[in-house]
Amino acid sequence: MQLSRPLQVVGHLVLLIICLSILAPMLIVVSTAIKLPNEVYALSLWPDVPTLQNFAHLFEQTAFGRYTWNTAGTTALRVAGQLALGVLAAYAFARFTFRFRDAIFALVIGAMMIPQVLTMLPNYILMAQLGWFDTWWALVVPNLATPIAIFLLRQHMMSFPSELIDAAQMDGAGHWTTLWRVIVPNLGPALSALTIIIFIDSWNEYFWPLLVTESENSRTIQIGLREFLQDDQDDYGALMAGIIFASVPAIAVFLFFQRRVMDTFVSSGLKG
Amino acid sequence: MSMLSPSTGATLNAVAPARRDGWLVSRLGADSALVPWLYLAPTLILLALFTYWPLLQTAYLSLVDWNMNPSQPTQFVGADNYGRVFGSTLFQTALLNTVIYIGASIPLKVLLPIPVAVFLWSLGTRGHFYRAILFLPTLISFVVVGVAFLWILNPIFGYAKQFFALAGYRLPNLLADPDAAIWVIIGISTWKVLGFNMLIYLAGLASINREYIEAMRMDGAGDLTIFRRLIWPLLTPTLMFVMISTIIFTMQQVFTPIDLMTEGGPSNSTTNLFYMIYQYSFVTFDVGGGAAGTMMLFALLMILALLQIRLFDRRAHYKQ
Repeated sequence: MQLSRPLQVVGHLVLLIICLSILAPMLIVVSTAIKLPNEVYALSLWPDVPTLQNFAHLFEQTAFGRYTWNTAGTTALRVAGQLALGVLAAYAFARFTFRFRDAIFALVIGAMMIPQVLTMLPNYILMAQLGWFDTWWALVVPNLATPIAIFLLRQHMMSFPSELIDAAQMDGAGHWTTLWRVIVPNLGPALSALTIIIFIDSWNEYFWPLLVTESENSRTIQIGLREFLQDDQDDYGALMAGIIFASVPAIAVFLFFQRRVMDTFVSSGLKG
Repeated sequence: MSMLSPSTGATLNAVAPARRDGWLVSRLGADSALVPWLYLAPTLILLALFTYWPLLQTAYLSLVDWNMNPSQPTQFVGADNYGRVFGSTLFQTALLNTVIYIGASIPLKVLLPIPVAVFLWSLGTRGHFYRAILFLPTLISFVVVGVAFLWILNPIFGYAKQFFALAGYRLPNLLADPDAAIWVIIGISTWKVLGFNMLIYLAGLASINREYIEAMRMDGAGDLTIFRRLIWPLLTPTLMFVMISTIIFTMQQVFTPIDLMTEGGPSNSTTNLFYMIYQYSFVTFDVGGGAAGTMMLFALLMILALLQIRLFDRRAHYKQ
């Protein structure tokens, strides 16, 4: 489609302003993170003496190493667990007919519509009763059932050629073998898209970890940043280093798999 | 798409050698009606335990008086909590603020991206560079965004302050001003979600056949006519989706910047319903009040869901 000349100029101008307003805060953050304390409050974006001291300071000053381990560990467990449970449930919905199947499926998908706020009080109390408070268990287990994963994987499995499955079963493969040896190896694109979604979602999560983490035992990066903000309001250099550190994994994934990440997020409608 | 029914499975089993299944499945018999339930069990147990049962429990907790101390008995008080929360100034302020958050979000986050997305779409593949930048805020956590803007808006040394000072304007401390603070939060949440909504519109636009536009152009239609008569009607389903998801986003996700930047203040001017529930439950440990607030929010979300279904129904009606 060809727009008229003046409209094109206005369009580019508006887009440039929007892009600049997105990039400017990021630029300020990066610039502050590489400044020495005596320069932090200066307006210039490029410091006289660029430094990585703030990053070192961040890890000395706080338990950021430990927070990173907690975040990476629980995120890895969640990705693996959510995918595994999603594959199992999706297989049941896609390849079996059984009583109440459609009702159960509606109940599973319906869980997507129930935001975490509505269940946080009883879940918080349950964590305390189970003794899971301030452990990895509380971060991982309540999040393992993922309706969106079940929904997407079921769709992919239903479009899977049934001849292949029949052939496998002729050769004596049971459901379990068929699922893991025949179907899952062919779900590559769907699984990698889900991995990206779950990874970013889990890495950036704020609300639930805020409730159930209390110490270095389980505190994640995001909650560590909040604590750092409240304890050391003035150390802006290290704070900016911290938020850069917290953002690097998601941005790295994006840079490697640009198209796929964007398509995945847009088609699932998940707002970061 | 053929489903493998238990009966065809049995015929296959008769000719096939022994199946290499897990021990549990083989003990139960591969074609037992129980098999699908075994695959579903982990998911169903987790959903029951952490989603559906807690939902019922929240309804129960909204009828009791309890301070979350296990040694303290829970006392049944009926609908008292609802009356108490509903009558509180905190609830009324939070409700009003929620309306402001949503009201401001629709022009900023839902409508503004449309013309920009249409322009971006007209660029075709040349717009790819813009798209990558527009997507960036989606990847970054709201904590990161909140901390970054706290530094930029720092009342003494922040970039915003110094920048305005260069232009000869004295920027007040926006986050300490009860009238301005909510607009800071709205601005930041717009920053976070604007580009993403634009990309969703772009996905919706991608399904429009460009030949229609060429045809209209041949008939002498201008840009505005094409937008009004072709693009806008075809984009309506996407618009509805963006609208509903943005309202839900605005009700929930804004929790993070509120908690980090203002903690609901100054004088509750930035509290929304979600943050109010958090304050009741985990700041004052008034479980009954928190649960009653939760149920009221639940009702509001249900109304939104029904509204969404009705809107979609009406659209389906137009199509006939």
